[in-house]
Amino acid sequence: MTSPLIAGYVSGLRRQLPAAVAEEAADGLIETYEQHLARGTGQHEAARAAVAEFGDLAMVVGEFTRQAPGRRAARMLLATGPVVGACWAAALISGRAWTWQVPAAARLSFGAVLLLAVTALAAAATSRRSYRRTRLTAAAGPVIVILDAAAVAAVSLAAPALTAGLGIAAAASLGRIVLTAWTLPRLAVR
Amino acid sequence: MRAEAQVLKGHLDTLLLASLASGPRHGYAVKEALRAGSGARFDLPTGTIYPALRRLEAAGLVKGTWAEAGGRRRRIYELTPAGHQRLSRDRASWRDFAAAMSAILEAAR
Repeated sequence: MTSPLIAGYVSGLRRQLPAAVAEEAADGLIETYEQHLARGTGQHEAARAAVAEFGDLAMVVGEFTRQAPGRRAARMLLATGPVVGACWAAALISGRAWTWQVPAAARLSFGAVLLLAVTALAAAATSRRSYRRTRLTAAAGPVIVILDAAAVAAVSLAAPALTAGLGIAAAASLGRIVLTAWTLPRLAVR
Repeated sequence: MRAEAQVLKGHLDTLLLASLASGPRHGYAVKEALRAGSGARFDLPTGTIYPALRRLEAAGLVKGTWAEAGGRRRRIYELTPAGHQRLSRDRASWRDFAAAMSAILEAAR
């Protein structure tokens, strides 16, 4: 590769995108550049034409980011939040959960970790320019699984009686565990 | 021109699937097939083809594999059975839509 413009663009792709994605995009840019060279265009002009044809670096990185699997998965997981949350809220209120023997530290830790995971998912779901931010889903997803499993386990241990509401909430959490486990392997960039 | 670009974006998935119907292609070849097939009217920025192909791959409509070309690794895409089905559905629905639009526009002449 002889053009500093192409080399700079490829460096930008490598800095901002996962290695496999950057490699594929770089191949496309270099192919475009080589096609212009093959038509007899000089190196400098061929590089300028290739970049113009390929698209501005920020636009291309933004397009990869908006279509990143982590961004879509984060939106899907966030969408389950109100449904699963409402099931648990209804079940815990009707079961008078504040009277159960659950240590305050455990309640607080659960809330803090949940807040952290939701914040990470929101950051991934709203990212428009940073592909790296969309990868937060890969970290937040397993945390959501652990929290759902912990909620089901805690209720089965602490609830004085298993009501229909608790059963529905536990089923909602188990459903989300299955959904998250199905989604996470699809976040791997090949 | 801008309105046409928006319309084109709405049909990007179908166009990409159609460009792969004749066999496996890499991103640049997909872009060239669209440009040639449309008489140079559909000339999308090449850089937008690659994210869309990856999204179609995540949706199970195309399958990507790495190959070696000119000392570089290159990702080649081909339609999956689900991609073929989706393309057939899109083609049928486009024919219905185009026929209905033509009928209305011709009647209004």
